[in-house]
Amino acid sequence: MTVLEVSDLRRSFGGIHAVQGVSFSLDEQEILGIIGPNGSGKSTLFNLLTGLVRPGSGEVRLHGRDITGWKPHRIARAGMGRTFQIPALFVNMTVQENLFAAVVEGDWKSARQRTGQVLDLMTLGDLRNELASTLSGGQQRLLEFARVLMRDPQVILLDEVTAGVHPTLRQVILDAITRLRSEGRSFLVIEHDMELVRAVCERVIVMDAGQVVAQGSFDEIAADKSVVEAYLGVPAK
Amino acid sequence: MSRVGGLVPGNRWQWASLLVFVLVVLAVPFWTDDYWTRIFTGVAMWSALAMSWNVMGGYAGYISFGQAAFFGIGAYTTALLMQKGQDWNFFATLPVGAVLAGILAVIVGWPVLKLRGAYFAIATWAMAEAFLQIATAAGFTGGSSGLTLPINASTSFFYYAMLIPAIVTFAVCWLLLERSRFGYRVKAVRDHEPAAESIGIDTTRVKIQAFAFSAVIPGVFGGIYAYWITFINPTSVLADDITDQMVVMALVGGLGRIWGPVLGATLLYLVNRQFIASFGDTTAYIAAVGAIVALIVLFLPDGLVSLFSRGRRMALSRQLLVRLLPGRNGTTGRGGRL
Repeated sequence: MTVLEVSDLRRSFGGIHAVQGVSFSLDEQEILGIIGPNGSGKSTLFNLLTGLVRPGSGEVRLHGRDITGWKPHRIARAGMGRTFQIPALFVNMTVQENLFAAVVEGDWKSARQRTGQVLDLMTLGDLRNELASTLSGGQQRLLEFARVLMRDPQVILLDEVTAGVHPTLRQVILDAITRLRSEGRSFLVIEHDMELVRAVCERVIVMDAGQVVAQGSFDEIAADKSVVEAYLGVPAK
Repeated sequence: MSRVGGLVPGNRWQWASLLVFVLVVLAVPFWTDDYWTRIFTGVAMWSALAMSWNVMGGYAGYISFGQAAFFGIGAYTTALLMQKGQDWNFFATLPVGAVLAGILAVIVGWPVLKLRGAYFAIATWAMAEAFLQIATAAGFTGGSSGLTLPINASTSFFYYAMLIPAIVTFAVCWLLLERSRFGYRVKAVRDHEPAAESIGIDTTRVKIQAFAFSAVIPGVFGGIYAYWITFINPTSVLADDITDQMVVMALVGGLGRIWGPVLGATLLYLVNRQFIASFGDTTAYIAAVGAIVALIVLFLPDGLVSLFSRGRRMALSRQLLVRLLPGRNGTTGRGGRL
């Protein structure tokens, strides 16, 4: 079943066409990788999907519902969570408070219980009273991921979630992704770590200059000439 | 509203200390003379006003220079309603001023809270300046001649009229900002607004709620102040130095801390009165305040409150100053507003 459907999404900033007619779909329990060189429009695509930037045109459907142009908090409440390329934490709050902030509605007692579960999943239980700004880079990524999980979203967007993360913490993140997928979540994952993409993504989208230049399994896109050109450039004749 | 965590103070001794402190404060008119009672009346008022500024500046991370407008609205509301012919009861005028200030904050906040950093500061300053000019030009405010209120000469009356609302303000700030989900939302907006939105927080709504709350407080105290001094004009209740005092008091005491504005207001108001007593005016006081602020930012970036607690090291005063730098637009490499 398709949980996220993106059709002909476009966005320009002045004369720069950051995203040009991107279309794809994400199925339930699927992990879809998005790769591409720096500046290819991957993070802008995430901003468009989560409402931080309004699309110029195109359509985004979450569980069949048109969410194009919705405000970010509505999209989050509709079941889409995300992390940022640079961890976006509430740095003057503790680890636990970062998670409490995500409890926007619902029962507070069960939310506190969920905080404990999420912290355990991300191995952050011992750091619950530490200030977020004092965490290491890897721990900050875990905390941001944990905060996303507080809302229990069905679709999770991870933007370079393992970048600069120690192998031990990287494994924690990978285990969490695998477990959450088995529980029914779907993932869109922006990554430069090709080993990770190969290991967890069923399908991969390759972006270059704001467009999807290839999509398929990792082996298929690795053999695609346009992908090689996107990363390495066109050979001189 | 849900409570989070345990009660503060954390143990029996702290509760006992707080109780003694409250009793001593309540008994001020009984153990000191009228001069010092008036001084403590001012301390109570400025503590509450600095707390109101701290809601936006310290907790929400939006530097408002428009608080004087809300103070003035409260003052003029009470003054107008107590004029001959209207003859409202003093206490009945206070909720009216508070509501009007809150409504103004919602109306102004809707567009203005889309601005950030220095732009928000300038917009709120312009709002306060506009009200100053309106009050000067309008006939019903008495223009620059101002308005005179009925006289109530009881020093004790005004002490309690300031102190009790100040204590209520403190309690409500503590409950709302330190012990409720609303507080987490407000602080999330301060630390990283896009991230706050991405976890489902309606940041526009939270900011407007915080702005309205921060406006209601000076709306009440403006009314009490007007009755206390019995004569108001635009420069006495709408001048921008009223906001400046709130900013400096919160900054010196500790931004984003519940006790910070109280400490800052107490210290600076006492210093202010001492300078007036010694030199007859406050010119030297302004220079002294400049030196105090510079020292605080350099050596105590969490304010005076950090001398008394092992609290978090947030250094919000430095983050605040960075936010106001031209060209930074309140952002950092984190992509957030700080």
